[in-house]
Amino acid sequence: MMSRRNLLAAALIAPLLLLVLVSFIVPLGATLYRAVDDAEIPTILPQTTALLKQWDGKGLPSEQTYQSLIAELREAQEQQKAGPVLNRLNFEETGLRSMLLQGLRASSRFTGSTKEGLIALNPRWADPHFWGLVKRSTGPWTPLYFLRSVDLKLGPDGAVVPTAEEEAVFVKLFVRTFEISLVVTLICAVLAYPVAYTLSILPQVWTNIGIMLVLIPFWTSILVRTTAWFIILQREGPINALLVSLHLVDQPVTMIFTRFAVYLAMVHVLLPFAILPLYSVMKGIKPDYMRAAASLGAPGWRRFLRIYLPLTMPGVAAGALMVFMLSVGFYITPALVGGSGDQMISYFIAFFTNTSVNWGIAAALAALLMGMTGILVAIAWLLVPGFRAGGVRV
Amino acid sequence: MMKSKLFVSTLTSLLLACALPSLASARDLMVVGFGGGFQDNARKHLFQGYATEKGVKVTDDVYNGEMAKLYSMVKSGDITFDVIMVEAPEMVRACEDGVLEKLDWSLINKDKFIPGGSSTCGAGAVGWGVSLFYDQARTPQGPANYADLWNVQKFPGKRSLRSGAKMTMEIALMADGVAMADVYKVLATPEGQKRAFAKLDELKPHIVWWKSGAQPLQLVGSGEVAYAVGYVGRTIKATEGGAKYPVQWNTLLFSFDYWSVVRNSPNKAEAMKLVNFMTDEKPLMNLAQDWAVSPATASVANNPDVIKKNPGMVASHSKEGLFISTDFWVENGADLEAKFNAWVAK
Amino acid sequence: MTASTILPARQRPTTGRLILYSVTSVLLVFLVAPILVVFPLSLSSGELLVLPTPGYSWRWYADFFSSQRWLLATYNSFVVGILTTLIATSLGTLGAIGLYLGRFRGKAFVLALLSLPMVTPVIVTAIALYFSLSAVGLGSTLTGLVLAHTVLSVPYVLLTVLASLQSFDPNLLRASASLGANPIQSFYRVVLPLITPSVATGALFAFATSFDELIVALFIASPDQFTLPRQMYAGIREFLSPTIASAAVLIILLSVLLLMVNETIRKRAARHTLPSTHRTP
Repeated sequence: MMSRRNLLAAALIAPLLLLVLVSFIVPLGATLYRAVDDAEIPTILPQTTALLKQWDGKGLPSEQTYQSLIAELREAQEQQKAGPVLNRLNFEETGLRSMLLQGLRASSRFTGSTKEGLIALNPRWADPHFWGLVKRSTGPWTPLYFLRSVDLKLGPDGAVVPTAEEEAVFVKLFVRTFEISLVVTLICAVLAYPVAYTLSILPQVWTNIGIMLVLIPFWTSILVRTTAWFIILQREGPINALLVSLHLVDQPVTMIFTRFAVYLAMVHVLLPFAILPLYSVMKGIKPDYMRAAASLGAPGWRRFLRIYLPLTMPGVAAGALMVFMLSVGFYITPALVGGSGDQMISYFIAFFTNTSVNWGIAAALAALLMGMTGILVAIAWLLVPGFRAGGVRV
Repeated sequence: MMKSKLFVSTLTSLLLACALPSLASARDLMVVGFGGGFQDNARKHLFQGYATEKGVKVTDDVYNGEMAKLYSMVKSGDITFDVIMVEAPEMVRACEDGVLEKLDWSLINKDKFIPGGSSTCGAGAVGWGVSLFYDQARTPQGPANYADLWNVQKFPGKRSLRSGAKMTMEIALMADGVAMADVYKVLATPEGQKRAFAKLDELKPHIVWWKSGAQPLQLVGSGEVAYAVGYVGRTIKATEGGAKYPVQWNTLLFSFDYWSVVRNSPNKAEAMKLVNFMTDEKPLMNLAQDWAVSPATASVANNPDVIKKNPGMVASHSKEGLFISTDFWVENGADLEAKFNAWVAK
Repeated sequence: MTASTILPARQRPTTGRLILYSVTSVLLVFLVAPILVVFPLSLSSGELLVLPTPGYSWRWYADFFSSQRWLLATYNSFVVGILTTLIATSLGTLGAIGLYLGRFRGKAFVLALLSLPMVTPVIVTAIALYFSLSAVGLGSTLTGLVLAHTVLSVPYVLLTVLASLQSFDPNLLRASASLGANPIQSFYRVVLPLITPSVATGALFAFATSFDELIVALFIASPDQFTLPRQMYAGIREFLSPTIASAAVLIILLSVLLLMVNETIRKRAARHTLPSTHRTP
């Protein structure tokens, strides 16, 4: 039985819940589904799909299957629908696109058996492995995209095997993404500590000024700040001009399009997120504790280590977590100031979405990124005490 | 009071939100190209030329050749582009994939093009090319060919190449001593592709990759890189503007761009007519007055005055440069671009 | 309050303290200096984004205000920002009140669900919205952008308002109920005035989030829907000119304005609620 109070509560929450469900949860779910969805071939080549379902996988499929594949592909091509099929198979194994197109073009000249004609054209048509691939792609789901995003694939016999060395890149990218994020988080936490501490002990006037200096970048667009770094770090930019004029270097130093630039700009963008929660925690620590410790004769560093540091840990944790979660999804900053070897997984999600139009792999990478981040955040949530207390943005 | 305000504001915003798409649906004819000086001049002579003649509104925009927008548009049925300028292999693939309309040759005169200037979904627009260039004001004597570009001892400094397999693979092979005529023969083999990547490995630490056509000029102009491979048309324009970036025609790689009509465009017939207009002799002759255009329309491409006035026409230098094979990239594009991206990210 | 009251062992600036102050100063300069760099650049009389500038002029501001693209982007940013703010603030505030009022199981789960957009990597949200919005024909529309920005900013409103609601003394509500007010009246009279500052903060945050947002716009906006950050990004990629710096300056000034408004609200609220916070333990 719902109380009046809960009824009212539900009515108040409903619109928000509906919004978040419809325009976030459902899209997210649909994206995850896209990572395993494999409906192209069954939709465009229904008859071939049905025939292959009957094929036992041993030897070669029937003449009818060959004919059906060619006929359905031709029809799809006339209706300009063949692309998804060709791309799907080519993603399974490079070269299948051209093999199918070649077969399609030649088949109009066949007089006898389509099967024999195709085999004469290219011996791969007589390879049961090829038909195994096609059969495997007849949906409705495929693990292919998820396997690919961790540099694995299905071998001819259906066993999971590593991808070719020149195509294996995603594990490396995930490692790089988390490495960059962890380094940035660490730097931010270390740098935020003295700043937040100073701000918490300064006279109010100075604190206000200091907080303003933290809040201004906090409120300023990330793109604006990244652009600023893009300008500053140029070869003929102000930093190099300064270094050269002070005779610290003879030649301008290359700073932009490097990992250094990525770290610098990311730390700049994210440092306020680490300072602010830490500051509010430090501000809330009663001087009594420290006074008590002092009166007990504990030396300064010991007081700090045993009392102050543990008391401020929730602030450190909240700030670090915020920084980490934001870092993991960074896209703009590495894209603008980083080199090709400094791009994070976001860059590839964008690449497969926008440039290479392989939405399956983009979705799988996104799902993995989200899952891994979720796991790391959950670990932090469980391990770091008091993290929940300080997690609200100032 | 607060509550009623909230209610009113929610209502207003929802109403406004509903009104927005209907406002957006009545739109002008939209042409999308690669930007730069060509598009500035095309706007004047081609887009607005058509607009004035037919009394319709034409607007234009810029993209970097990324095809996904097109695919998602066609998939969702929310078509915001009508006419689009596409590179040849992308045009052929997009045509097969069904995101471009088959051109209506009753609205477009097929006979006016140079051989190869028309295809199922594309009407030849302009020739374009890339070449090696550098700022002579900074570097009086730079690399004269692609083998030199790889010589970092003799020619120190960063280099900028287009981030993509197309053109970069060819350049790597030429730098490795493959003759121009054999480039695609070598590149078609797995060993050839390995060879190209191995050559690129050598130069990788010295390369800054560009994505949009404006970047190589900016990178060279700001001294960020010493040498770059960039679009010839833009380089020539910069030189006319006072920069010293001479085009080295022996390093030319060239191809043609096509005008295509986006599948299911709500302005399909109008779009076809615009494509026909943009490939007609008269507007192209006007365009040629302002821009070193290298059209696929035979009467303009072969016009001696145009050739004389535009020494930078890529067609006039076709003997010196490498024609970027459309067939090769239709066949191998998806695969090599994926390999390239994996390679470049490592 | 002075430094000495916090840490009694250190009565006067010591070497350690001096190091601490200098480190802090350096870091504060590091935070602000890059933002200041764009100011002289935006006033450059030259064509290139280099310092020192060859001279000073307003030409890039003139360029900004005479460019169709930048003006459209500014207009779009404000339309999207204002609509986002209105929707996110109304729904977020109502939802926070609902969560505060409700006594049901799974409340924590609902809260987690509603704040999920905040902890999801933006790139994931961006492609999810890109796929879905284009599937329902909202791909290249301002409506789609407003929906996306609302989803991204609504958790901030929700959490800010919820936090301020939770800091109230529930006795106030009981008192008002005992005086014969029904729950709606109690909220209207007691709670709403008290949470107004946090609603305002949430609204400002929602606006700032939308005004800043680039990644979603990168995926779902066609040129007609370009917002200021999206146009700026196109500028960096396509036509790098000091106009970008002048756009940046205008964006910075607006951000500082929003910040000032927010600080004023906070200070006012702190003054008003001081007695009540003193009462609650």
